[in-house]
Amino acid sequence: MLPIMTNRLPRVAAALTILASLVLCAGGARANSNIAGKKVIFVPISMGISLTEAWARGMKQHAAIYGYTVDIRDAHFNTGAMSELLAKAISDKPDVLVVHNPTVQLLARQIKQAESEGIKVLQINLQSNQPSTAFVGANWERIGREIAEDIVKECGAGSGKSGEVAIIPGQLTAADSVIMNEAAFKVFAAHPEIKVVSNQASNWEPEKARQITATVIQQHPNLCAIFGHWDVHTMGAGKAVKDAHLEDKIIVYATGGGDDKTCQAVEDKILDRVWSYDAAGQGRDAGTMIDILLQGGVAADHTMLKIESPMKIIKAGPTYDRNLCFKL
Amino acid sequence: MSSQAMSVNTVSRIAGARLRGGSLLEYVVVGVIVVLVVLFSIFIPGFATLGNLRVIASNSAALVILSCGMGMVIISRGLDLSLIATMVAGATIFSISIDAGWSWPVALGLTLLAVGAIGFVNGWLVAYVEISAMLATLASAMVITGLFRFGVLRGEYLLLLSKTNPAVAFFSSDILPGLAAPVALMIVAFVLTSILLRYTTAGRITYALGDNFQAARLTGLPVRTTTLMIYVYAAVMALLAGLVTSASSGTVDFRTVTNGTLLFEVILVVVLGGIPLRGGRGGMRNILIGAALIAVLRNGMTLVDLTTQTQDVLKGLVMIIAIATDNYFNPRDTETDTIGDL
Repeated sequence: MLPIMTNRLPRVAAALTILASLVLCAGGARANSNIAGKKVIFVPISMGISLTEAWARGMKQHAAIYGYTVDIRDAHFNTGAMSELLAKAISDKPDVLVVHNPTVQLLARQIKQAESEGIKVLQINLQSNQPSTAFVGANWERIGREIAEDIVKECGAGSGKSGEVAIIPGQLTAADSVIMNEAAFKVFAAHPEIKVVSNQASNWEPEKARQITATVIQQHPNLCAIFGHWDVHTMGAGKAVKDAHLEDKIIVYATGGGDDKTCQAVEDKILDRVWSYDAAGQGRDAGTMIDILLQGGVAADHTMLKIESPMKIIKAGPTYDRNLCFKL
Repeated sequence: MSSQAMSVNTVSRIAGARLRGGSLLEYVVVGVIVVLVVLFSIFIPGFATLGNLRVIASNSAALVILSCGMGMVIISRGLDLSLIATMVAGATIFSISIDAGWSWPVALGLTLLAVGAIGFVNGWLVAYVEISAMLATLASAMVITGLFRFGVLRGEYLLLLSKTNPAVAFFSSDILPGLAAPVALMIVAFVLTSILLRYTTAGRITYALGDNFQAARLTGLPVRTTTLMIYVYAAVMALLAGLVTSASSGTVDFRTVTNGTLLFEVILVVVLGGIPLRGGRGGMRNILIGAALIAVLRNGMTLVDLTTQTQDVLKGLVMIIAIATDNYFNPRDTETDTIGDL
């Protein structure tokens, strides 16, 4: 008996070593699919908008399958309240914390604190400067770059147009605006015929976007394109373009979660081209990522796990399809 | 002549005298407007054009309409912090009624009743329950916001208006060539408020309320019913502003109440124009002056591409300077001291 066992021992040891090095076994423990009863806390900028409602729906569907809870702490667009809610959430010691960052810096310290206390943090759609366990959301660099390239194609050299562009961020310090502007300006730098004549934030408000656009159009009647950083507030800008009867001259670009109102806006020529990151799909991705995190999943090199949201480009014409938009 | 008629006459003479003499602050503000207009005209391309003037007027329509209501309340030595909430609530009721298939006259009538009720409750709390206007209207703003966001909109912040919404169609059109519907409504609200304040008994009593509430009450003026009417009128102005704003942008946005600076801008217009917060003085001329400064400043800052944060900082500085100047030129004395009144 003893010689056979001695012969087999190295092979058994090798097999165990291979098992132990698999991604899902990074902690030395096997993946645990029994995650019922675990706690997830979601702290969005605000509920009551299709983006966050779609995410919450996706996460809750996954929670229902596995039997864990998703508790939502709504900040109602109040950044001060958001810091407090996040502090309370950390003290409640959830297994996963899902954070929707209003700016790149506001919650960075608290994310670091949560991670140091063993809470896995999933950042959703808007990143902080502080990396965490995981991120699910749009690739803002890609969106900014692709929209800028489309603008160059439509308004740049050889197009016969003025090259004048207005950018309407939500907030200049929000992650999406920071990254999209950086990517867009990098593209525009190589095309001096493109002139950014306005870059004023609308605080995510359609009426403010409308007023800014009405003023800019007046000063720049040959404006070629508007790049709004969120489809909802950009609808205000699109309305101003339509009220000025310039919908056939000015192309209104936006990006957003792509709900049915976005498609309606494209049909009504309020928006022209929307880079949709499909909030419903993001909700499913977030739910899947939470399932993996609760089962012990981490990146092998402990960097941030990332799921980039696939894009859908919604624009009038032969590629348009109502099914590109989701309905809550 | 009855004693009440004599009281109104006396008050009317005093109020009229105060109306005719302008305050020093308004002359300073007019001077600042002239300087800004000249500077912007020289240094900002596109500022001094008819088209830009139309944009300034159109972008300021809701602000002026709200200021008409707030101006009347402040002249009576009140304050209505629920104005923006009422504005958004009114737009919500109208839009939901239209979406439910009701005709626009029925929807408008229902909405008028609803906002009138809000104004009535505000006025009742101030006049009959005798709660300070600031606290009463702050509380009603919170109740309205919560009720509509969670009870009516089921937690949503935004209500997108369909293009078939008659308000959207009406306010996107021109009443006359070159005269947009929002601007026309602004002019109507402005003229109506001016007539009410200057030529009606209720208007004269409004000044009396602000000038010396106790004297007005003791001389037998109907102070309570007038207070009710003032807050109802402010609520109706808020509804008109709500229809203009929501139709222009195509959305009803409750974040205007919770996150926006619109209430601050409305009070800024009134104070900058020369209507002191202690009431009893001022008129529509002051609203026009205050609105002109804010509109010109906002337009100029947008045209030079200043960030919205920088714009807010500048507006805040202007507010501090305006209040300090107002305090310097209109110092408090025993008669006008308003500590605790608001």
